[in-house]
Amino acid sequence: MRLVGATLYVVRVPFVEAFSHSVAERRCSESVVVRVQDDVGAEGFGEGTPRSYVTGETVETTLEALAHELWPAVAGREVPPADDLAALAAMLPHMSSAAGITPNAARAAMELAVVDCALRRVARPMATILPPRRPRVTYSGIVTAGSIERAVQHARRMRAIGIREIKVKVGFDDDVSRVTAVREALGTDASLRLDANGAWTFDRAVAVLDALAPLQIAGVEQPLPRGRVEDLARLRRATSIPIIVDESLLTAADADALIEARAADVFNVRVSKCGGFAASLAIADRAAAAGVGVQVGSQVGETAILAAAGRHLAATLPRIAFAEGSFGTLLLTEDVSVDSVRFGHRGEAPLLTGPGLGIRVVEERLRRYAATVRDLSAGG
Amino acid sequence: MDTATVRELLERQVTAFTSAPAFAELESGKAEYDAFIENVARTHLQSPQLVAFLYALAPPAAVPDLLENLLEETGRKRPLERARAHPQLLEELLVAAGLADRLPTIRAQAEDDLRRLVTEPLLYGTLRDVGLAALTEIVAFELMLSRLAGRIAAALATHRGLPARALEWFTHHSEVDVRHAEQGLENLATYVGYYGIGDDEALAIIETSLREDVFARRYFRAPKAAEPRR
Repeated sequence: MRLVGATLYVVRVPFVEAFSHSVAERRCSESVVVRVQDDVGAEGFGEGTPRSYVTGETVETTLEALAHELWPAVAGREVPPADDLAALAAMLPHMSSAAGITPNAARAAMELAVVDCALRRVARPMATILPPRRPRVTYSGIVTAGSIERAVQHARRMRAIGIREIKVKVGFDDDVSRVTAVREALGTDASLRLDANGAWTFDRAVAVLDALAPLQIAGVEQPLPRGRVEDLARLRRATSIPIIVDESLLTAADADALIEARAADVFNVRVSKCGGFAASLAIADRAAAAGVGVQVGSQVGETAILAAAGRHLAATLPRIAFAEGSFGTLLLTEDVSVDSVRFGHRGEAPLLTGPGLGIRVVEERLRRYAATVRDLSAGG
Repeated sequence: MDTATVRELLERQVTAFTSAPAFAELESGKAEYDAFIENVARTHLQSPQLVAFLYALAPPAAVPDLLENLLEETGRKRPLERARAHPQLLEELLVAAGLADRLPTIRAQAEDDLRRLVTEPLLYGTLRDVGLAALTEIVAFELMLSRLAGRIAAALATHRGLPARALEWFTHHSEVDVRHAEQGLENLATYVGYYGIGDDEALAIIETSLREDVFARRYFRAPKAAEPRR
């Protein structure tokens, strides 16, 4: 099998409603989708979601990395067998962080496309590489930023569809009253956690967490900005609420540093943010060995491609604290796959058992929602 | 359940729709009218099946209204010589607009929308709640069309040059949905009461079904496909 062609799509699908947190508000998705094709016509799709405030990547840097570093590394080359994830991932060059950019979204997009193509060529499912350990994945709901009234409205909607694990976006002046109102709306039997997206100072984090501790908070994600792990470790010692790290965790080296500093209770592993399946598994392995929990996270507005990847990762890990994503058409006005990947009642979603990533991408929809489409030949 | 709260919720959706830049474009001759017509057809071609589903779930007090609605949708309401099935009116709209060649694609899209609805995991744990979500959608569109079908038809006549006969689907909804919309609100309350859904729970399901700009989402979707560059 040789890869002979690739197409890059910058996909912007409008959201059903705006999604906001302390760092950004989005009204449409922004993904870079990669479609690769091999010498017998099999194709594979991958997706990365560049976020400047997470990996430093932008759409432009991602397209650049894909067109000039990642695609040339795989174009025309013999692709390893479909069941050898390590070998497939090793086809891609090591790309270290530079100028504040960790090119993980680009790497994830290409890795997923190559893996999907390799599996589709031999009509094998993702379970070939990532055998599932559970029959379904249960997803959390998310209460986005906005007014407290809106937060409560979101919480009630989550309750109406049976979701019992909820994450609330915080990082605002009214955090305590916001979370208190959401807890009241959800009742005491729901699992509630927070995500500050790095918006707090150390003192603000301690104050808010102290005030909210009686509300049985299951965890707080990225309370401080990405920076010194010692600060996170100090905060972890100062609060009884488990610390979940997200923006602080981009690479295996980050994982090692966080473990060594005892700075986290849970790692938020996201396929795009962490650079694909192989890198995500490597981080999850480190977490398991160190007794750190794993949350399989998602990117806001990801399409069915990354949602499917997240589903497979969440299904294969021995233990997961929480899973996020698979909002599908609850957030996107239209998704890019034939079959829905959206979770159902209680946030439950079945395994995806079809060939490759287990979804059928509609290329016409990619084009319809594409701001940019760029064809690459085997010559790069 | 208090119908005033639901009415207010639906009216807000109608206001959001008419406030959308795309709606202003529709009324000012700047819209992509073919795409708009296609989207209207895609949204409503399968409506008789949705109404039939609701008829199956209807509480006794709502059965007569939903049966009448179903007979209208399927073109079986007396007098039969004047009755036309609503999907037929939509197909005639497409033909009159010169979009006959698009009909198979639009039918396939509408069927795919229904297939997706049926095959994806249910958001709700009971048929009761699924039915409320479906009823909300029907009532919301009836209420919106009762307010705006005339304006939309006028825009299509003025800016797309469509004759009155081609716009019968709109004029029909403009006339009958004033009554349907009021009945629909009553039926929602009847449904919620009969099946014992708590007010907060019902409102959450209704809000989840509508979310933001439900009408614009359906009628103004689908930009054109981008062309590749090397």
